[in-house]
Formats: sequence, structure tokens, C-alpha cells
Amino acid sequence: MESAFTYTESELVQGLKAKDQKVFGYLYDRYSPALYGVALKVLNDESNANDVLQEVFLKIWRNIDRYDESKGRLFTWMLNITRNSAIDTLRSKAHKMDQKIQDIGDDVHLYTGNLTVLPSVDHLGLSKVLEKLTKEQRIIIDLAYYKGCTQEEISKVLEIPLGTVKTRMRNAIIQLRNLLKLV
Amino acid sequence: MDASRFISSGLIEAYVSGLATSNEVQELERGMTQYPEVAAAVDDCQLDMEQYVTLQSKTPPADLKQRIFHIIINEEVARESGALGADAVTDEFPETKTYVSSTWRLVAAAAIILLLGSLFLNYFFFGQINDYKGRYETLLSTHNSLASESNLYRTRIDQMEHAIDLMKNPSMKTVKMPGTKPFPTALATVYWNQQSKEVFIMVNNLPEPAADKQYQLWAIVDGKPVDMGVFEMSNPHELLQKMKSIDNAEMFAITLEKKGGSAVPTLDQMYVAGKAS
Repeated sequence: MESAFTYTESELVQGLKAKDQKVFGYLYDRYSPALYGVALKVLNDESNANDVLQEVFLKIWRNIDRYDESKGRLFTWMLNITRNSAIDTLRSKAHKMDQKIQDIGDDVHLYTGNLTVLPSVDHLGLSKVLEKLTKEQRIIIDLAYYKGCTQEEISKVLEIPLGTVKTRMRNAIIQLRNLLKLV
Repeated sequence: MDASRFISSGLIEAYVSGLATSNEVQELERGMTQYPEVAAAVDDCQLDMEQYVTLQSKTPPADLKQRIFHIIINEEVARESGALGADAVTDEFPETKTYVSSTWRLVAAAAIILLLGSLFLNYFFFGQINDYKGRYETLLSTHNSLASESNLYRTRIDQMEHAIDLMKNPSMKTVKMPGTKPFPTALATVYWNQQSKEVFIMVNNLPEPAADKQYQLWAIVDGKPVDMGVFEMSNPHELLQKMKSIDNAEMFAITLEKKGGSAVPTLDQMYVAGKAS
């Protein structure tokens, strides 16, 4: 699957801008699992996630000229496209808040199983990270990142004052950062 | 806000997790251009978030890559042949629509409503017209049949009046002809105008003859039968039928003869007979 050689990020961007299909193939092999993981986490539905991933790679291919290297890394750009497309799909399917929260709750069981990860990461690493996060820390990150919840929505769901949502998020991410150093 | 306040405020984490409002995003982006350490902190945090996300990678279905390549290769072919041109990159740009001013839309809507209303009324009135036409035709035919019936009655009344006028004439002589022995119930009457010598026959009771037979009136003059003509039974409303005239006669009689009459009466077919004097 993985191509025998690698490209630097600027080589990737140049290749894409030149409509090089080989570069695009490499990009797909390298990043589609991470982007698919995002779509799947947002939508909790494989068929919808397939559609979103297809849409995302077509957007990357067609709109690479809009990518501005000075504003961030290519992967960040691609992640943003994926997250926005998936959350748009989620909203267009008129999911209610309850459904979003239900998805997160159900998903807890999936954290340890059924994951095909990149060669550089392993299942143990993931479960080690997730075990050390409190349930509230996991939920606050996932609701914001994967479900696109606003601060107001999170304040309602977790029954915490609106003013403390950002502080809780900061604490959760600091904890996450410490755990990731151990992986 | 200085750099350390940015870093401790939770704004960076909110930004990276997608939680920041658009105001907060603008505020942080200003901070990032102002303070390199803020920009570096955002970058670090983003890397952590991306690592967390990458931990949850999953390989997509194998056929998806082919599907995507199929689409982009087709697009490239189309682009090279110039068919798509710049339009190929339009995914995020909705195609331009032609907007019509709202006044014209209203006018068009009103016109459509009027047209529909008119169609409905056409249909409705057409149905009514058909209904009236049918009723008119029924009335017309009823009227016609009444008129012809009334004509018929008028004719009959005229005939009756004519007959009564004849009978009222004081010079009219009545000769009653009772049935003969073989036909006792038969009865007919001759009306004989003594001035004009006209003779009329009135059938009181005679059986309907066969299709090839006709009744014939005879006058007996000097013991000899004289033909007075045949008459029809078919018009029972004609009370008096005019026969041949005769100056004088001793008797009148009726026999049943072949159609058109005979020169000599068939005596055994004599139904009625009566003396004139």
C-alpha cells in the first residue's frame, strides 16, 4: 500500500498543483486512514463516511490552488476540509443534540477495538491514552472536534457553567498532551 | 492581552478543538501574528490534536481509491478535450442561476392562476351548455310531438264536424241497414241527400275484412244491383265516407268482395241490407 519512497510536504503540494496523479495516489495512501477515521467518528456510519471521504479527496484535488502554505501544514488543511464536510453532512442529516451525545456514548466501546492504524501508531498507544483521560475529558474533546458542538451546547450537555467550558477544554488537552508524550 | 494570557486563557485549545467562536478566532489570529510564542503554542497544540486524531485512523474500503481516481481521470480527460474547461473546479461554487425580478414572478404567478381559473370556468360552463342543449332538445322534441298530436286531433275534429254538418242537413235521409241472417250483429247506415243525391256510408259494426277483400255498397234500382263503390275500414275516425251518387234506389246493401270491387254482388257474402223507403 504505502509507496516505497516519500515526498516532503512542499513536494507533495507542488505535485498536487501540477495535477500529478502519482503524487495524489501517494497522498491518498498516506492520509486516507486518518481522514476516514475523522469522517467515521463524526458520522458513525460507514456509508456516509465513504461519501464524505470521496468528496474530501475530490476537493483536495480540485482546490489545491486554494491551499496557502503560509497559513498551516497540508495535513491541517486536509483535516479541516474533512471535519467540515463530515460535520456539514451530520447537520444536514438533522441529527439532534441527543443523537450526537448518544453517538459519543456508544463510541466509547469502539475505542479499543476494530481499528486499523497507521504503521507509526499502535492500538496499545491509543488505549493507553484513552484510559488516562477521564470520561469528561474525552467527551469534551470529542463533542467539540468530532461533533462540532458549540460552547453553549457543551455547557448544557455536561451541565457545567458556560464560562468554564474553555478551561475544561484546556485541561483536557493538557492531559492529552502529557499522555501523548508517553506513547 | 499579552502572550502568556493568550496561552493560559484556553483560547488556543478552543481554537484547535473547533470550539472557538468567530470573534475568538479573530482575536487569536491577531495574537499569532503579534507574538511568535503564541503562534508556536497554537502549532504545538494542533500537532497534539492531530496526533490524537491520527490515533483513531481507520483504513477506508479498498474500492474507494479506484472510485476517486475514476472520477478525476474522467475530469482530466474532459478538461484536456476542453469540454469542461474551468467548470471542472466548480464543486464549491453553485452554478449561477438566472434570477427574475420578484415583480415579474408575481405577474407570472398571477397569469398562471388566471389561466388555471379560466380553464376551470371554461370546463364548467361547457358542461352547463351541454346540459342546457340537451334539455332544449328534449323540450323541442316534446313540443314537436305535442304539435303533431294537436294537428292530428284538429284533423279528426274537422272530419267529425264535417260529418255532423252533413247529418244535420234536413234533406239528409238515413237508411239503416241491419245485419243479414248469417251476420246478425253487422250494422251500417247510408246517409242519402235527397237534394244533391250524394250518398255517404257510416259503418256502425262490420268485421275487419281480410287483406285482399273490400266491402262494396250496392243500390237496388228496379230490382237490379247498381255498384256504389268500395270503401275502406282502415280509417275509423272518418265517420262518413262519400260513395257514388244515385237519383233513386229501393234498397241498399253491402257485400264483401275481392279488392277493388266486383261487377255483380256475391250474394252469400251480403252482410247488411236495408230498404230506402
